[in-house]
Amino acid sequence: MSYSPAVRHWFGRAADLVAPLPPGPGLLLRGSAGREEDGARVAFELRLAADARAGFSAAAFRAFGCPHVVAACALLCAWLPGRPPAALARGSWADALVPLEIPAGKSASLMIIEDALRKCLTDWDNSGLPST
Amino acid sequence: MRLPVYLDYAASTPVDPEVAAAMQECLGDPAAFANPSASGHAPGRAAQARVEQARAEVAALIGARPGEVTWTSGATEANNLAIMGAAQFRAARGRHLVTSLTEHASVREPFRQLERSGFRVTWLRPGAGGLLDPADLAAALRPDTQLVSIMHVNNETGVIQDIAALGALCRAHGALFHVDAAQSAGRLPLDLARLPVDLLTLSAHKIHGPKGVGALYLDAATVPWLAPLMYGGGQERGLRPGTVATHQVAGMGVACRLAAARMAADAAWLRALRDALWDGLRGIPGVLLNGDAGRRADHILSVSVEGVCGESLLFALEELALSAGAACSSDTGEPSHVLRSLGRSRLLAESSLRFSVGRQTTLEEIALAVAAVGRAVADLRRMRPPAAGTGA
Repeated sequence: MSYSPAVRHWFGRAADLVAPLPPGPGLLLRGSAGREEDGARVAFELRLAADARAGFSAAAFRAFGCPHVVAACALLCAWLPGRPPAALARGSWADALVPLEIPAGKSASLMIIEDALRKCLTDWDNSGLPST
Repeated sequence: MRLPVYLDYAASTPVDPEVAAAMQECLGDPAAFANPSASGHAPGRAAQARVEQARAEVAALIGARPGEVTWTSGATEANNLAIMGAAQFRAARGRHLVTSLTEHASVREPFRQLERSGFRVTWLRPGAGGLLDPADLAAALRPDTQLVSIMHVNNETGVIQDIAALGALCRAHGALFHVDAAQSAGRLPLDLARLPVDLLTLSAHKIHGPKGVGALYLDAATVPWLAPLMYGGGQERGLRPGTVATHQVAGMGVACRLAAARMAADAAWLRALRDALWDGLRGIPGVLLNGDAGRRADHILSVSVEGVCGESLLFALEELALSAGAACSSDTGEPSHVLRSLGRSRLLAESSLRFSVGRQTTLEEIALAVAAVGRAVADLRRMRPPAAGTGA
């Protein structure tokens, strides 16, 4: 298995982006998906600014999975701050992962990331706070 | 210290300078470069003498007679020749064969091919430690069993099979016994004058010889002939036609001679390295030894690591050159069949690391490896999410 330079970079940065987030203002959203037995499990913690229009103020993750999964989670946790909740739609964040050059055989792992991010959105919906 | 630290000596070893010198001599020296089959002139006879000298050196390593050694391109060809050749040559007597689930692919695949062509194969399953129970072999032998093939030292776990006991059963039954000794010849004493082994596979590059050459031992008393894999020349009695690569076999001969001379010293050093490695790794929580703790070769240590993804563990250990059980590192995309056969879960088979040490390995490198594994495992576990249902 070969890995892109971007995977090496973001895997190396992953330790700095590991959950839990430190306490802070705003709404904490959580979402997780996958099973270790199936090869990947990821969990995100996203902090939405008190004024949701300001977007996410911080993001962190935990992951059990291959270097592509770890690198993708780390990249997303660096990419999301400052972006609105709409950025959790796959069409938006998937483009951000292009530099990782994730092979087609790892597409199931991307679905697990998608499921975890969707659960963050569900967490927000369940919070009763208005969406932007 | 040179990085990455090479800990994959079971996969291949560096060519010994004395081996390289012998090979070099055969490439250009007028008294050695000629075709060793060209016995009509002096240079050809000189090359032939060099080939026969190497044959004698290989034979001496394993307690055989020179005429019982046939050159091949490596262990894979030797295994194929032994298995396909014996099965097909003896097919009229019977079409039942026996091997184990933990063999190297170069043994498993010929058996699979024979199954596809109508032979019946019994696949023995080892115990949790990787050892075969001779009673299981005794139960598997049938009146029509013609060949049993069992590896001596497992290339993944280092477990040593009791080939004396297994071979004795085969002899009593009248079945040929083939041993893949790619990981043991030159590392463990082998005396084929006394061991009940009919066919034995050797590799040069596992013992500081060159790649591209190996040998098959055929017991002159019990294996009169095999069906060849190739046709087109009379070399190697027609069993393995093609011009013998004088430089390759000369290199293998020297490697075998050196291995015999250094075996005791090498074994003591490798055991010290392996034990130091295990002493360090066992201090990391969740590191499990794969294979029997007692019957194991000195140069191989296989462990599985709980709670980490094998592919990421290997990725995080880039300062180490080693083999892993992760599916991503296998040709098949599947985790180690050997560890799965030993009852390891898929996750533990995938999170396995095979360390193999060699003459050049240092204790400083072992300490670095232990520290690197400890650091990588801690980092990956810190990243591990809680299980489903325990909160995100």
